[in-house]
Amino acid sequence: MNITKSEHLENVLQTHRMTHIEDLLKKYREKRQDIKEAIEAEYSSDIYNPLNSGSYAKHTAINSKFDLDVMIPFKRDAFMTLEEMFNDIFDFLQEKYGSVAEVIKQKVSIGIEFYADDNGDIISIDIVPGRELNTGQYEDDHKLNLYVNSNYGELEAQSYIQTNIHAQIDHIKSKDNERKIIRLFKVWKTTNNENYKSFLLELITIKAFDKENIKGNLWEKLKAVMEYIRDHITKDNFTLKDPGNGGNDIADTLEDYEKRNLSNKMKNMLERIEDNEDNLKHYFPTNPDFEDEDKNGNGYGKKSGAASLFSRPPKNERFG
Amino acid sequence: MKYTNTYKKVELIISEDLLKRLSSYGIEQFSNEFGGFLMGYYSNNFKTLTITDTVLPKVYQGTPYLFQRSIKGIGGTFEVYYKKQPNQYYIGEWHTHPNGSTAYSHTDKQAMVNITQCATVNITNPILLIISINASEINGFQFYLYDNNELFPFVEST
Repeated sequence: MNITKSEHLENVLQTHRMTHIEDLLKKYREKRQDIKEAIEAEYSSDIYNPLNSGSYAKHTAINSKFDLDVMIPFKRDAFMTLEEMFNDIFDFLQEKYGSVAEVIKQKVSIGIEFYADDNGDIISIDIVPGRELNTGQYEDDHKLNLYVNSNYGELEAQSYIQTNIHAQIDHIKSKDNERKIIRLFKVWKTTNNENYKSFLLELITIKAFDKENIKGNLWEKLKAVMEYIRDHITKDNFTLKDPGNGGNDIADTLEDYEKRNLSNKMKNMLERIEDNEDNLKHYFPTNPDFEDEDKNGNGYGKKSGAASLFSRPPKNERFG
Repeated sequence: MKYTNTYKKVELIISEDLLKRLSSYGIEQFSNEFGGFLMGYYSNNFKTLTITDTVLPKVYQGTPYLFQRSIKGIGGTFEVYYKKQPNQYYIGEWHTHPNGSTAYSHTDKQAMVNITQCATVNITNPILLIISINASEINGFQFYLYDNNELFPFVEST
């Protein structure tokens, strides 16, 4: 590789920035706002203010694959059951958007995928309905119960799951280093068709930074987190507590063999990158759609290989 | 106040108070040129630079057509800014043109080349601010972005 591993990873992050797709994002935001307003008009006093959630709200989104999530906090007495809530909002969204979008029941959310517009853009918005645990409690603790669609995924044995989106967003607030690594893992996951949950990769990255002394350049940080996953994910007592619900261990969503697979994948990647630096590009590629744009230089620049922007000016300089 | 550089598609923010302060430092030294170091921080996507302060040289020479500054006696100040939250960096230089224009001179451009070639400088797009002053007030000012041997002006954002 004729640039350093860190420089390549910086390019990966640069070319996957959401700012490259401002025009598309604008369409997403408009659709999201339209859906929010429709839901507020329909359910008015039955809900608290909808809030943006998901990777975009957490600043961990990448431009090659993302959607926008909106959490709808229902009041306790809005519905008798969580299933009723889930089905009611699905029926409403199906009625409202069924002619212009695919409206799909997902594991805990309802996906609205609008048909391609004149530019071929497809907008996906996920609506996550939740209900407060007790009357008036949401305003105090932001806890919600989500209905788990039993026809979907590994949580089929459960009928509901408790969460707290505010706590999840707070958990990653001001963690710039962790966010960079999470975004790199998302690039890896998307381009290599890995189906690990983004939330699991997010929690394990934050835990690695908490437990280990992770420092150095971007490659050194990524390597340290990969080593942490390799060495810890298969341990019997290893847990990844959902910050929105301490009783929910996200590590448990992986079977033992899946944990071994993840550990082995980290080991193999580390060894192959060690053997040949070019393999880093295979696991963590740049987004070719925006390579040229970045070469032309959008954004203030930093010298190649510089660990930070810290600069000391030349000793003497003259101006005219 | 917000300015845009269309070449690099970047923005620059500076408060009116800070700009007035720089001008007043320059007016105090009228009819000689005077200047200093610009400090600031970048947004996460490196598209916006906020200029927060200036560091003034302790050792300098000014004439009506020349300003020469040193970092003698202030070298440690840049680390102090770097340790602030958010981290603040040396991002460029400013100087006055007494009764002159806000256009840059060949000497100014050469200084920017030297800055980016300096081993202790890690930025590739330093800012040059030229403030035109008279004995009592500011006549005008112009921000430039240096990139690859060229200086590109900023325009006020609408």
